Amino acid sequence: MAGDALWYEAAQVVGITNALNVAADTLDGLEAVDEASAPPETRALFAEIRDFYERDAIPPGFHFIARDPAYAAEVWAAMRHAFADHRLSRRLKEALAFAVSVTSRSASGAAFHLSEMRRLGVGPRGVMEIVGVTQMFSSYTKIADTLQLEPDMGGIAPEDPSPAPGGAPGEDSPLR
Amino acid sequence: MPTVRLRAAAEYPPSSQKLFEASRAWFNYDFAEPPAMSRVMAWDVEFGGPHGRAMKRAMGPGEFTRGEKEMVAAVVSGINACEY
Repeated sequence: MAGDALWYEAAQVVGITNALNVAADTLDGLEAVDEASAPPETRALFAEIRDFYERDAIPPGFHFIARDPAYAAEVWAAMRHAFADHRLSRRLKEALAFAVSVTSRSASGAAFHLSEMRRLGVGPRGVMEIVGVTQMFSSYTKIADTLQLEPDMGGIAPEDPSPAPGGAPGEDSPLR
Repeated sequence: MPTVRLRAAAEYPPSSQKLFEASRAWFNYDFAEPPAMSRVMAWDVEFGGPHGRAMKRAMGPGEFTRGEKEMVAAVVSGINACEY
């Protein structure tokens, strides 16, 4: 897990997962989109999401945010990119999203990403591994916070000296 | 600033030194002092022992690699807004 690119990808998954969970778990006051009577662009968006997940379910938050199809399409474009296979596998990204959902007490997110993990081949043992890591680090973090411990392990990993994507070191860059 | 005084490793009894050795081996890193969390968990080995073994079991390689699990752990820590 060396190199910053992996962590940028993980951060994208965490952010967009949390965004969808927030909508799914708190917007009961908004009426969910009725797909049958929704405009064509909404139905097309839902179809694209189902195609990505290769099943009928879509992340629950989209049922609410699709009231603005243009907005939902942009959120989906970001989510699709975040969850696609890049340097991190889609399987691991779903495990990260499951851990995010469990940690943030998102029942709908946990259920969706658990089903995705299973669909992508994670077995019962693998699911329990992610549950175990999530649970143990939910314990460690609260112990650390209760005692207000200060970070002391930052030196373990080396810094990644590579430039930003598409960038090149400038004349005065120490990277040249 | 921590709410407790973090004891130096030398202040702990021999039974706790085993935990510090296990911590050094786990991280494969020669700390000047064991990490603060290791010293916290060594305060009461009847808690820290089983807690540490549960963590080690959860983090060991299985369907997911240890590296993948470290990333899951980092994500959980981030969601819990834990700076440590």
